[in-house]
Amino acid sequence: MRWLALILLVVLSAPVHAASYKVLLIRASNENGATDESLKDIETKLKKVFGYNHYRPLGLQRMPAQINTRRRLDLGEGFVTFITTKGLKDNQYDVELEWFSGKLLISKQTLKLPENRYVFIKGPEVGADWIVLALTILE
Amino acid sequence: MRLHDPTLMTGLLDGELNGWRRWYVRRHASKCPVCALEYRQQQHARRLLAANPPNISMSGSDDFFWSQIKNEIQSRPASAVDVPTPSLSFGDWLRQRELALATVAATIVALLAITWLVSQHRAHPQFAHAQVEHVQTAIPNTVATPFRSDDDVTVIWVSGLPWTPDMTEMQTLYAQPTI
Repeated sequence: MRWLALILLVVLSAPVHAASYKVLLIRASNENGATDESLKDIETKLKKVFGYNHYRPLGLQRMPAQINTRRRLDLGEGFVTFITTKGLKDNQYDVELEWFSGKLLISKQTLKLPENRYVFIKGPEVGADWIVLALTILE
Repeated sequence: MRLHDPTLMTGLLDGELNGWRRWYVRRHASKCPVCALEYRQQQHARRLLAANPPNISMSGSDDFFWSQIKNEIQSRPASAVDVPTPSLSFGDWLRQRELALATVAATIVALLAITWLVSQHRAHPQFAHAQVEHVQTAIPNTVATPFRSDDDVTVIWVSGLPWTPDMTEMQTLYAQPTI
């Protein structure tokens, strides 16, 4: 009986694989300013792709990557994303991402997104700055 | 291990056993009364022999003795000698190759591990980039172009979007149903 309890405890305490989306709304600019901690891990990638010196997070949202679900994420400044997780095959998520600003659809894309890989979307230009959306799935 | 094997007790006392066999025989001798008795008897006999060494005396000097041996050897005619070939059991064969067996076992385990890792990798390949299957824009005169950067980043470049001087104006512009 003690063995059964021990086995149950081990099985129940085993970590459950739960991936989650991380969506960032970023303002890229050349104005002076320190990079936010939430962008430290992708700052180099952002600089390499967009060329700006500084990146400031305008909004950050997370949500679990559940199959056959569609979720609305409000990123602030009038920007909203709809993320539909259509499936998971070969460690790649089938994702439909719609990015809205106000009432207008900026872009709609269907992606095969592996875990820990980023998708950057270059959006509207505001003054001398650019608005960028970053999406990834974290383990 | 064969049960109650006196030769193993002899081997233990002679220091012929090594590694796990020595540990195993000692452990067995400490628990088995038959083998413990055999061990004590052999130990006792050895102590007796050690305490009473044979007193051997030679009639002549050492040189004279060895010259006699040499003459005896030289006087005998040369003849073929049959050297007995030891017959080894499978157990003896295994004991002589403990290290080789351990190496073979380790190699098999390593090969199995590599095979498993390769099969896991094939089942779940690691992708370097996200793939864009389809992309579209709704605002007139805009176009979205996907490409891959040198890093593991996939980029979708939406160009042709209207420029605004600040965020407030941008929100006002994009709040309209059409541009």
